[in-house]
Amino acid sequence: MKYFYKITLLSLFMLTLLSACGGVPEEKSTASHSEKAFSVEEVLEMVAKENDVTRTLYTKAIVGKGKAQGMKFDEDWRKDDVEAGPLPALFLRGVASSIRKSPVPLGLYLGSDFPVNAANKFVGKQAELFKKIKMNQKPQFFYDSDQKLHTAMFADVAGAGACVSCHNDHPQTTKTDWKLGDVMGATTWQYPKDSLSYKETIALLGSYAQGTVDIYKEYLAEIEEFKKSDKPEIGSKWPAEGNYLPTAEVFLDSVKKLSSYETMKHLVAKK
Amino acid sequence: MFKINPLRKRQFFGSIIGLIVGIPLIYILTLDATEEYISIGPMNTGHNDLKCFACHTDAKGNLLQQIQSNFSHTIGVRENGVDFGTKDVTVDNCLQCHDRPNDRHPVYRFSEPRFKDAIKNIDATTCITCHTEHQEERVSVESINYCMNCHQTLVVENDPIDISHKDLIAKEQWFTCIQCHDFHGNHKYAVPVKLADTIPMKIIQDYFDGGSDPYGKLKKYTALSLEDWLKSFDK
Repeated sequence: MKYFYKITLLSLFMLTLLSACGGVPEEKSTASHSEKAFSVEEVLEMVAKENDVTRTLYTKAIVGKGKAQGMKFDEDWRKDDVEAGPLPALFLRGVASSIRKSPVPLGLYLGSDFPVNAANKFVGKQAELFKKIKMNQKPQFFYDSDQKLHTAMFADVAGAGACVSCHNDHPQTTKTDWKLGDVMGATTWQYPKDSLSYKETIALLGSYAQGTVDIYKEYLAEIEEFKKSDKPEIGSKWPAEGNYLPTAEVFLDSVKKLSSYETMKHLVAKK
Repeated sequence: MFKINPLRKRQFFGSIIGLIVGIPLIYILTLDATEEYISIGPMNTGHNDLKCFACHTDAKGNLLQQIQSNFSHTIGVRENGVDFGTKDVTVDNCLQCHDRPNDRHPVYRFSEPRFKDAIKNIDATTCITCHTEHQEERVSVESINYCMNCHQTLVVENDPIDISHKDLIAKEQWFTCIQCHDFHGNHKYAVPVKLADTIPMKIIQDYFDGGSDPYGKLKKYTALSLEDWLKSFDK
């Protein structure tokens, strides 16, 4: 009995000691109610809109107009013997890669039912939801229970002549009759939390913007290394005006001018 | 001085011996020079110069806090447990030195839902699936047929190789992929156009086991050394 009493006392002492020290602060998967500002769906819609603006600007003003000036864009743009810039799909992959390096746990992918690269073909749940997107162009949301990630898919519409002509003429294309306005694919976005605080939302949008700057700077760095091709002048002018390319800052400023109204509307409405 | 109860002499001397042996042992085993004795195995090829702290960083909180948090998690009053002692080594640790823009198969891509079935067979979302550390080798996969998980429907236009990719796939010759293509696409070399000129499997296996690089010495990207990695924090 005495032994049992001692053990109980010792256990209670140990438990009290353990509780008294306080545990390691817990990182919760959802923001507390007071911090919760946006649902993950709202935030992903915001960033997807910024992505639409960025991609359209890059495709039309850089790739489209740049090609008219003789600039080259290639899927193998990173190869040493290729002197070219990234095609829009690879520009997006560059953004996604940069986001992955940031502390923001945002995933971004591009796929289609008729991709140029077979590895980008949708299967399973994504293929199923993409059918709906093609019908109404509305975003689709689901929870990926395997990876515990909130997932959103947004239509990727052919918004520039360059999208249509490049995909139709590509030697490995699986579809040759794309036309302007077609849903050519969809972006898939993933985030681990179901809601985000204001600060997390700003960080996520910032991470996307930084991704844009990073890949654009990589393109400019690639131009620096050109040996055979003409190097465009990099400054404040755009390819529409001649053999020019905007700096990363000028490019991002234009993206912000075009997208800030929509984004700010959401951010301010909640503030 | 204090008096030792004769009945407790054995415990007393046991404790003294424990302290005399234990304290120097803890001191010695925490020295940089003795890292290899506490390591669970020799480092993989290319990692020989790494120190433990490059991957194993202290977990959050002190020992008592970690015990309490994990105890609370076990009895269900806390949502998540915590790392004990040192943090789990994750992909982020690897990418601090190995991340680069030209990776043909970056790990993050496999988090996309469409790779759900593929990663059930080979979890390409994490480096250690293929590069298990402390094995004194380069690649630790059991079978070199992993390309089959994603490339079953591969079509190569104007296929340059004498036995087409289509035929190789139809015959399930999946081990031939690696004889031409290094998985991460980090080598600068001319890909052969005849199957007979490809790198023999024996040499590939030797390379995986830590041998010399059959794809050549020219690389597009070199991983950071321990020194460069440390310098990266100053930037």
